[in-house]
Amino acid sequence: MDTVIIDGLSFALPLFIIAIGGIYSEKSGITNLALEGFQGFGAFIGALSAVLIANVSGTEIQNLFYVALLFSMLGGMVFSIIHAVLSIKFKADQVISGVVINILALALTTFLTAQINAFVFGTASDKFQLGVSDRFTIEGLANIPVIGAVFTNVYPFEVIIIVIAFFAWYLLYKTKFGMRLRASGENPHSVDAAGVNVSKIRFSAVLISGLLAGLGGMCFAYSISANFSSNIYMGYGFLAIAALIFGNWRILPTLAACLLFGFAKSGGAFIAQSMALPSSFTDLFMILPYVLTLLLLIFFSKSNRAPRALGEIYDKGKR
Amino acid sequence: MSDYIIEMKNITKRFPGIVANDDVSIRIKKGEIFALLGENGAGKSTLMSILGGMYEPDEGEVYIRGEKVQISSPTHAAKLNIGMVHQHFKLVSDYTITENIILGVEPIKKFAGLFPYVDIRNANRKIEELSKNFGLEVDPTKKISDLTVSMQQRVEILKVLYREAEILIFDEPTAVLTPQETDFLLGIIDGLRNGGKTIILITHKLDEIKKIADRCAVLNKGKLVEVLDVKETSTKKMAQLMVGREVNLESDKAPAVFKEEVLKVEHLTVKNEDGFEVVKDVSFTIKSGEIFAIAGVADNGQVEIADAIAGLTKVSGGRIFLNGMDITNESIRKRTEYGISYIPEDRQSFGLVLDFDISTNLALKQYYREPFARKGILNKEEFEQVGTKLIDKYDIRSGQGIKTQVRSMSGGNQQKTIIAREIELQSPLMIFVQPTRGVDIGAIENIHKMMIQERDQGKAILLVSLELEEIMNVADTIGVIYNGQLQKIASSESLTTNEVGEYMMGAKHEQR
Amino acid sequence: MSKDNRKHNLRKNFIRPISNEKWQPITIPLVSIFISFIAAAIVILIIGKNPFQAFYNLLQGAGIMPKPSYAGYKGMLTDFLSLLNAMTPLVFASLAVAVALKAGLFNIGVSGQMLVSGFLATIIVGYSGLDAIIAKPLVLVIGIAAGGLMGGLVGWLKYKFNINEVVSTIMLNYIAQYVISFFIQMYYIDPISRQSKYIEEAARLTLVNVEIANLKMDIPLGFILAIFTAIFLKFVMDKTVVGFEIKAVGKNRNAAKYAGIHVGRNTVLAMMISGGLAGLAGVTYYLGYFSSIQPKVLSSIGFDSIAVSLLGNSHPIGVIFSSFLVSIIDQGSTYMSSQAGIRQEISSVIIGLILLFSACGEYLKQKVSRLKEKDLDQKKGES
Repeated sequence: MDTVIIDGLSFALPLFIIAIGGIYSEKSGITNLALEGFQGFGAFIGALSAVLIANVSGTEIQNLFYVALLFSMLGGMVFSIIHAVLSIKFKADQVISGVVINILALALTTFLTAQINAFVFGTASDKFQLGVSDRFTIEGLANIPVIGAVFTNVYPFEVIIIVIAFFAWYLLYKTKFGMRLRASGENPHSVDAAGVNVSKIRFSAVLISGLLAGLGGMCFAYSISANFSSNIYMGYGFLAIAALIFGNWRILPTLAACLLFGFAKSGGAFIAQSMALPSSFTDLFMILPYVLTLLLLIFFSKSNRAPRALGEIYDKGKR
Repeated sequence: MSDYIIEMKNITKRFPGIVANDDVSIRIKKGEIFALLGENGAGKSTLMSILGGMYEPDEGEVYIRGEKVQISSPTHAAKLNIGMVHQHFKLVSDYTITENIILGVEPIKKFAGLFPYVDIRNANRKIEELSKNFGLEVDPTKKISDLTVSMQQRVEILKVLYREAEILIFDEPTAVLTPQETDFLLGIIDGLRNGGKTIILITHKLDEIKKIADRCAVLNKGKLVEVLDVKETSTKKMAQLMVGREVNLESDKAPAVFKEEVLKVEHLTVKNEDGFEVVKDVSFTIKSGEIFAIAGVADNGQVEIADAIAGLTKVSGGRIFLNGMDITNESIRKRTEYGISYIPEDRQSFGLVLDFDISTNLALKQYYREPFARKGILNKEEFEQVGTKLIDKYDIRSGQGIKTQVRSMSGGNQQKTIIAREIELQSPLMIFVQPTRGVDIGAIENIHKMMIQERDQGKAILLVSLELEEIMNVADTIGVIYNGQLQKIASSESLTTNEVGEYMMGAKHEQR
Repeated sequence: MSKDNRKHNLRKNFIRPISNEKWQPITIPLVSIFISFIAAAIVILIIGKNPFQAFYNLLQGAGIMPKPSYAGYKGMLTDFLSLLNAMTPLVFASLAVAVALKAGLFNIGVSGQMLVSGFLATIIVGYSGLDAIIAKPLVLVIGIAAGGLMGGLVGWLKYKFNINEVVSTIMLNYIAQYVISFFIQMYYIDPISRQSKYIEEAARLTLVNVEIANLKMDIPLGFILAIFTAIFLKFVMDKTVVGFEIKAVGKNRNAAKYAGIHVGRNTVLAMMISGGLAGLAGVTYYLGYFSSIQPKVLSSIGFDSIAVSLLGNSHPIGVIFSSFLVSIIDQGSTYMSSQAGIRQEISSVIIGLILLFSACGEYLKQKVSRLKEKDLDQKKGES
């Protein structure tokens, strides 16, 4: 039972931080289907820098965890510039731009991973081996029944994510940047009339989404997959989008949606294991989060309200 | 320092294909109400957009308080204490009044000396005070979505006052207000002037100018015609100068001859997406040969009535009969076939497919049946023939004939395309929603003429308009709507403009 | 002449080839391709190889240019037919994306729809022992039906519950992938290849190893069908009431509704057609190009088809040309990899780049028309 909570949390929180990235972008009015690509590319840059630094300095790769996190945010952000430029500067269709970026991320990182492995390390591998980051347990709290599991075998990134999520909430709802950002997604003309540059606000929002998604991707790479490979493109970005839609583009309800996915996933695996079914059956339980997504979307898509100007190309001249 | 707070000298501004301002010079004194009079497209808004920092002039100079300036942005204009109250409100409907007003100039406080945050509480206080000082009466913590149109306008005024504007530009401020609200607004404007502000009023309504303006500049086709002292000039003279010829906006029409009943609406109720009743128990009838107009302030349910009749919105209660046949649950297509033509309010997102060419748009409601199509196969020649005929008949002007993409045409010609298509359907019932919005004065006359012509040929016509003037001119019968309910139905001769205004605000109520 | 002016002239000369609006649907994709290849050439240069040789190898591998030597029973024609064999599912898949795009919908669930129809056709017909004359048409029918139903479901979810089709198709992709993997591993696994058991020749849509003129060739029957389908779709889109309605819905849903077109029905219909085409892609892929299914893997064709469709301006005939190009890159990459020592994965990078630059096409178009306007203004100002 504990494993359900432990694994559920370690899946839900990276998903949550990717979803917050999505909230930033969409609250500013830019549809973001590129989260999948951002998290993959961020994880790629993070993993690459960890592998390179480990190789040069001889440090154990597990210890470069924080370095990798930092670079993954940077990588995700740099990659998100493409989405920002295409959808804000070039006024391309935001859905198309998102899909294009996802495909490009997959192609580029797969190619580069293989190429770099061959060139730098002389191995014919299509992944960067990372291992699983260290975990910690808070002794006193871990002994509490049921809830204790929350404080058992915690990945450090879970704490980081919670801290960043809190800051993201503060930035979005309490500061003038956040106020302008949310207004850009509701009525960009009002922001423009107030003398604030809508494009700049949206640009930064998309970059923030890249940064957070990159972080989320890296956390996945350092936990459930233990490496970077094209397997990182498991649809986490899309699950995050589904989560933020149920969450009605608000941070706290989105967390609830992510937890639901997390527990559905770990719960499914737990059931398959405890019933001692053959390994093929795990495939059947793997579909749980996706089926859940579809079902929840059926119930929530209609009642939830997206930001009013979401996906609209903002043209100054148009009224 | 000169006596004039604003001087615009020899301003010329060109746009592709047109000269919006041609060598215009005006001077405005501090503390006066200066009106800019002209038709749509006369160049008033362009001139003021230059002052507001939205455009830079191609030629000419601007002096503010005697100093030459180049106003590069709205922010720059605000720094020069120039503020613009836009005709189309620019408000975030999910935000409170305060949040809307402070957007862009947020007061900041720091939490624990480290984390900056927007100090809403302080702003609320300041805005409440400001609103009191100028008699605007708003509650700063209310959300925009809960406000009436005239309240929203007050928020726009507070926006510029909060930014300490000394020069306030009002762009057609009364276009969407009832007569009573208009009076209230003019009172506020007068109060602002008395408080030492300089006011520029863009308008084409002569009575307003007469009421409060000190001086008035008349523009025609981008050129300055004259600057008048309002007290010494008659309204008639101003009208003549504005149009450059004598006009008669009061349409000449033969007395109406009502025949059989065409449309009957019984206890109609419509809910919006949030389940809120926007049309409540509305009943009326329209006869052949009658123009029935629904008057009301924007967003009071009138568009939903039109949509419900045409089938674009679901009806949650009541019945609709066309020529005695119950069409309440019929599809849009069926209703069109039974005889409803519909000129929608939003022509670009409803009336037309902008990426299709003219001939296709002209066939948009009949493409599927003979002679346009046979057994599911389109007959492109027929599209072209009909298109060519209608372009000629309705004088639709376009760059490349029937192959022109509608997107590239002017608003007036887009409207003509829709009207041509809808008239050609030969429907016994025609619905016009805001048919003259954003088209110039010549075209307005023309559209009114067409409407009356159709009436005289025995059509039943439903007109929804926010322009009270238009309704008083064209309608035979007027239904006034407020808050989703019809307050009054009466013949247009029996109602005065002021009475209609009172019903529009729900001030007067009549149980039927 | 001032520097500014010269710069302007330079720009003018650069845009001249794409300034004619009538030809833009062709010229702009060509420019996108051109830029992508330049970008790819730079990547190849960086890893220290010769881009021209690499591109030539691509053509050789695809059977467009002759290789220096061939193995027994092989020749340029064999390679070319393999190209067509590989291209067939791509044409169907890209048509699927194109039809959806016409209706304003984004079908990125093509891979999932391919997998479901391929799987169903495999288990129903692939092992049935039916005669070729019945088996082959039956495979096509099952492909269309299965894909069409799955696509229709997506359209229905969109219409009924307002679920973004991008999200729902992705979810269905994963569900299909795992569920089918489960069934293959439980019931249809070939223990040696770790794939589903090979289907019977009678059910296969590609005739394999046909010996003609001392060459052993794969003849893709589906290719002819693909070309006919493209032509038929062009007719449907341009000349029929159905096409008119789908296009109207895609261009402006509100206006379509206002004109009396049933938006929901057309959304479902367009997705059904799209899914049906994806189904054809599925059967020509899993029961034509291949003859078994690898569990837990989605075909990359589903994503390549988006590139192909955008590049072909979602025009049925344009799609044929663009899938030809993308197939060359895909097919040639193996040979290029072995000859020039460049990793095969670069082919998807090139395709990704083409996709990226195609997405900029709209911007290019606007830029061009704005420059033209400016030009006109200048001329007016001078005269």
